[in-house]
Parts: sequence; structure tokens; C-alpha cells
Amino acid sequence: MPMATAAGHRCYELWDPMPDEVREGARRFAAVQALNELVGVLQYVEWLDRAPSHTRRQMLMAKIQDEVGHGHVVARVAEDLGMPRERILLDYLEGRTKIHNIFHYSFATWEEVGPGLLLTNSAAITQFQSLAKGVYLPYARALRKVEREESFHYQHALDLTHEILTHGDAEQRRRVQEGFELWLPRILAYLGPPDTDTLHTNRMWQVGLKPDGNDEVRQAWLNKIIPVVRKLGLHVDPALVRQAPSGEWEFEMPDWAQVKKVIANGGPSSQRRLDWVRRALDRNAPYRRALQGVA
Amino acid sequence: MPHIPTDSDVYEVFAQSGHGTALNHVGSIVSPRPDAAWHLAKETYGRRDDLVKLWVVRRTDMIVSSADDRGLLAAKTRMPYRQPGFPTARRRDRSASPPAVAAPREGRDSGLTERRDDAREPGLTDLWLALADDLFVLGNRLGEHIVDYIDLEEALAVGSIGQEALAHAGTILVLCGFDQPAADARFFDRAQAQWQVSRVVERLTDWPSLVAGGLVIAAAVAVLAEQTAEAAQTAGAEQTAGAEPGAAWLPAITAIRDEQLVHLDHWRRWARALAAWPETRTEFARAYAEVTERAGDMFGARPQSPAQGVPAGAAPAGPALAVTLHERLAALVGENGGPGSRLPDGPGTRTWGVGGSALADSLSRGRTVRDEYAPGVFS
Ligand SMILES: [Fe+2]
Ligand SMILES: [Fe+2]
Repeated sequence: MPMATAAGHRCYELWDPMPDEVREGARRFAAVQALNELVGVLQYVEWLDRAPSHTRRQMLMAKIQDEVGHGHVVARVAEDLGMPRERILLDYLEGRTKIHNIFHYSFATWEEVGPGLLLTNSAAITQFQSLAKGVYLPYARALRKVEREESFHYQHALDLTHEILTHGDAEQRRRVQEGFELWLPRILAYLGPPDTDTLHTNRMWQVGLKPDGNDEVRQAWLNKIIPVVRKLGLHVDPALVRQAPSGEWEFEMPDWAQVKKVIANGGPSSQRRLDWVRRALDRNAPYRRALQGVA
Repeated sequence: MPHIPTDSDVYEVFAQSGHGTALNHVGSIVSPRPDAAWHLAKETYGRRDDLVKLWVVRRTDMIVSSADDRGLLAAKTRMPYRQPGFPTARRRDRSASPPAVAAPREGRDSGLTERRDDAREPGLTDLWLALADDLFVLGNRLGEHIVDYIDLEEALAVGSIGQEALAHAGTILVLCGFDQPAADARFFDRAQAQWQVSRVVERLTDWPSLVAGGLVIAAAVAVLAEQTAEAAQTAGAEQTAGAEPGAAWLPAITAIRDEQLVHLDHWRRWARALAAWPETRTEFARAYAEVTERAGDMFGARPQSPAQGVPAGAAPAGPALAVTLHERLAALVGENGGPGSRLPDGPGTRTWGVGGSALADSLSRGRTVRDEYAPGVFS
């Protein structure tokens, strides 16, 4: 069984009998990811009509469409497990679910978009690579489709950042650097609190839906992204992140109480995201009914 | 066109042979009785390997692509910019090229003073350039609707239609002789007074109007593409010089036509749904009337000045052609099955500087980043 995890878990397909914990866990993972794809994309949408060239606009639009596509494939996984898609956005609006910390912010400048995209995308790729080793196979396959598209987003982010770093003026390049320093701690927090000591008590790890701990994923991500960032010409301040002689990455620990506050819709753009989704759903309700009613 | 096959006793067989892999199509069987199909398939395709899953589906329950759908399915050629290799190559090429030289922002916002050439008869290229403006604005509006969440599948479809509208706008400029910096300057640096969009554009706001606007613009582009393809075929290979529609236009123009016909079908389905549904009927009827009554100017472009990329010698399209195109448009739009169209009886002309706040906002937003950078930085 090529998909068996290292722990030798059994894997499951949609109609297989499976423990309730696996079914509910997979449904929750897929629904949470769907929500985050669908709401997380809004911070890029805000910049679509400011994208400064025809080609850039095409690439950004393709990326935005892909993110909604990711929301769609994982929402389908959740739907098959009994979570209607309408509930995914509704639960968010009614406060039953929350989006990740990184999606409670907006980009203040175009220069911030590149590094923000680059860090977010690469962290998401690392995380999906881990989750794709999980025991619920329809979700694992959905993640592999997502990963393929993320590699375009990643290259796009590199190109966008590189464009400004090579051709922008000193002030513009400085803002890219600031953007990197602003987003790095947010992504470190996004990957979750340290759990090396507690992972084995995590039920999702035990049933095989969460194959790696937060610390493992965070280290894997830093291993990959920091050399890339340096090669682009950005300065990596050791106060933010540094490599110990052991090879392990050290970083300034996020203020978890503060992160929790942000996630509880206490971030600078939390209300804006909620408002956007609420307005879109209200405005389009009759058209959605028309589409379904006539079909 | 995708079709539904007719051989009702044929079943397609799908099997999964390893955990985690996707299902594969392995072949088909004939079974006169539906309840025997799965067992017959097992004996045919499951004799040797351990299978994890075996699925059987009746052929007549499928919708399958036809040979002529290949063009529509060729995502890599239609949307090259979304392959990971595309931004990678851009980055590599731009590292190799010397940094952009700061030059005076010549051409930016110079639209008001630019010379126009209203005395000339408009040619096919003038009509195309005007439609490219419409497509550019439409594509951007549709991009915003990807996250409008009418439905997820619909969001994805709108995303593709929007991207194709942008791509077609770009292709048209290439056909008309623009290189990439010139195309960007045209889309981003031109003042509204230099735009010649259809009056439909000012109505591209709410969803029903976008459906109606998408429908008439797709129909207009398909009609003009058909006309251009005919002209290009008769012109033959010897008349392909400059930006004049000739044989060199054919592949791109045919692809644009085929894709726009798919868009047209999409908007027609929406128009039917909105017109039939009690809750949206009145709103859509009003939007549809307002959009179609503005759509008489689809082929009413005025001549663009040579500075805008049109060769001075472009063959005039002439008023007779506008009448023909308008009639074809009326026929195509009239078939949509929605509420009464108010498309005027004859063709109208376009005016410079329309598009209302829809275009004005889009232009000013499009400049916010661009204007802060030296010319040539963005490509
Ligand atoms: Fe995504
Ligand atoms: Fe992404």
C-alpha cells in the first residue's frame, strides 16, 4: 500500500467503513481548508485591479481562480463526508469556525504582496505535502492536485518579488524587505504552536490524519524557504530566524495569546473579510436560487 | 461539441488497482442487462490483478468530448501563463536583461492631446481594437466575480471566461501589431478620453447586467471573428503584411471565435435561468433591456489614429459591413431564449470617452502601482 503512513495506518476511501474519528476528522480538515482557501484568497483579490501589467493581471487572476478551485476540491471532499458546502461559509459568518491568523491581514503595499505570497505559498505547500500522507485518500488526492497548482503560485510569487527587487528603486526594494519581515513571523505562527512533546497525545496524529507535528513542518519549511529568500537578495535578520549549529532553525516565538486574539476575528482585516463574504452571499442569494431552481 | 453517446448497452469500466491512486479507465463491455454489467466487467477486467475498486458506468449516462473539442481542452496552449515554467522563464529572462532605464513617462496620460483620425473610414482592425477594449474591461470585472460565490463551480467558470477575455484582448493587440510594452501602455496608460468602449461597458456592474453584457460581447466577438476569418481566407497569403487581417490572423481568430462561442453558451444558460426564475425575472429583464439597447455600437468603432497602432492603409470596413455584422449579432443575440432584446434595428457608432465610472474606476485603480514605478519595470 503505497499510501500507508510510516505508522502503518490503514487508509480509507469514501465508502469504506472507517472509525468515526477518521470520518469526522477528515471532514473537519477538509472543511477548514475549504474555508481558508475561499476567504484567504480575498487578500489577493484586493490587488487584482491594481496589478500593473496585462501579464501580471492574467497570472494573478489565474492564481485567484486556482485558490477558489482548491476551496472547491476540498469542499467536495467535505461534502461527500456530510458537510454541505453552504455551511462552510455560513459557519464562518456565524462564528462557529475561524480562519487562520494570516488571513486576518491585508497587504498595505504592492511590494508587500510578493514576499507575503511567497512565504504563504511555500508554507502551504510544505503543510499540504505533510497532510497528503494522511489516511483519508480522497483528501490526500485533492491535496496532490492542490500542490501541483501551488507550484505555479510559488513561481509567480518569486517572479513578482524578483521583478521589484531587480528593477524597482531603493525605496521600493526596501518595502519588499519590510514585507518579508512583516510576514515571516505571521507564517511561523500560522504553522501552529510547538507540539513536539504533545504530538503523540494528539488524536489526529494517532488516527493518521496529521502525519507530522507543527515543529517538524515548520523546520521543513524554513529549510526550504530561507535559502530561496537569501538568493533573491533579501536580508534574513538573525533576530527573526537563525540556524543553530545542529542545523535546527531558531526563531522568535510568536506571542500565542496575541495570535489567538487575531484568529478570534481580532485582526486588522477580520471584519472586512466577514463583511465581504456576508455581502457576497446576500447579494447573490437570488441568483444562486435561480441557478439551482432552473437546473 | 461535447455529446451524449447513443449505444445504450455499452458500459465504461474504471478500476483502481492500488491504494491512493486514482481510478483509471480500463476499457468497456457490452451488457444487454444493466444488473449484469458490473459482474461482466469484473470477469473482463478483474481476472488477474487485485483491484481496490471497480466502477461501471453506462455510456449513455456520460457526456463526452468530441474530436473538435481538442482546442478547448488544450489548457497549456490557451493559458500558457499559468504553467509554473512561465513565471520561471520570465524571471530568468529578466535577470539576463539589463535593468530598466528610467525614461520620461512619455505617452502616459497624453491621450487628450493625441491626434485622431476621424476622417478615415474605420477598418476591421479599428473594430477589433474597440472590441479589445470591451474585452479587457469585461475580463477584469469577471475576475472580481470569481470570489462572488454564487456557486463554486460557477466561480471557476467565470474565472476562465474572464481570463480568456483578457487573453483575447491581448491577442487582438498582437494581431494589430502591438508589442507587449505598447499593449500595456494601451491598456494601462491611456486616458479614458482615448478609450472607445461600447456603451454596454458602463452597465457592467451587477450580476444580471454582467450576464447580459457578457452575452452581447461574446456574440459580437464571435460575429467579427467569423467575418474576419472569411475575409482572411479570401485575402490569401499574399495580403498578410502589417496589421491587416490576413491568413496570419486565421489560427488566432478561429481560436477566439471558438472560445467566445463557448462563453456565449454559458451566458445564454444564465440568461435563461435568470429569466425563468420568478425572483430574478424582473431584474434581469430590465438589465437585459438596458444592455441590449446600448449594444448597437458593437461595430461602430471610429478610426483609431496611427499613433495607436493602426496602419494608415487599413482597408475601410464601410457602413455596409457594419450593417451585415449588426444583423448577424441580432440573430445570435436573439436566439438566447431570454426576455425581449432591445437591440436597435441598425448599427450605431461608438464615442470616445464613454464607459462611465465603471471604466474610470478601473483605469485609476490600474494605475496606482504602475505610476509609482519607472517605465519598463513591469512586463
Ligand atoms: Fe490554495
Ligand atoms: Fe496558492
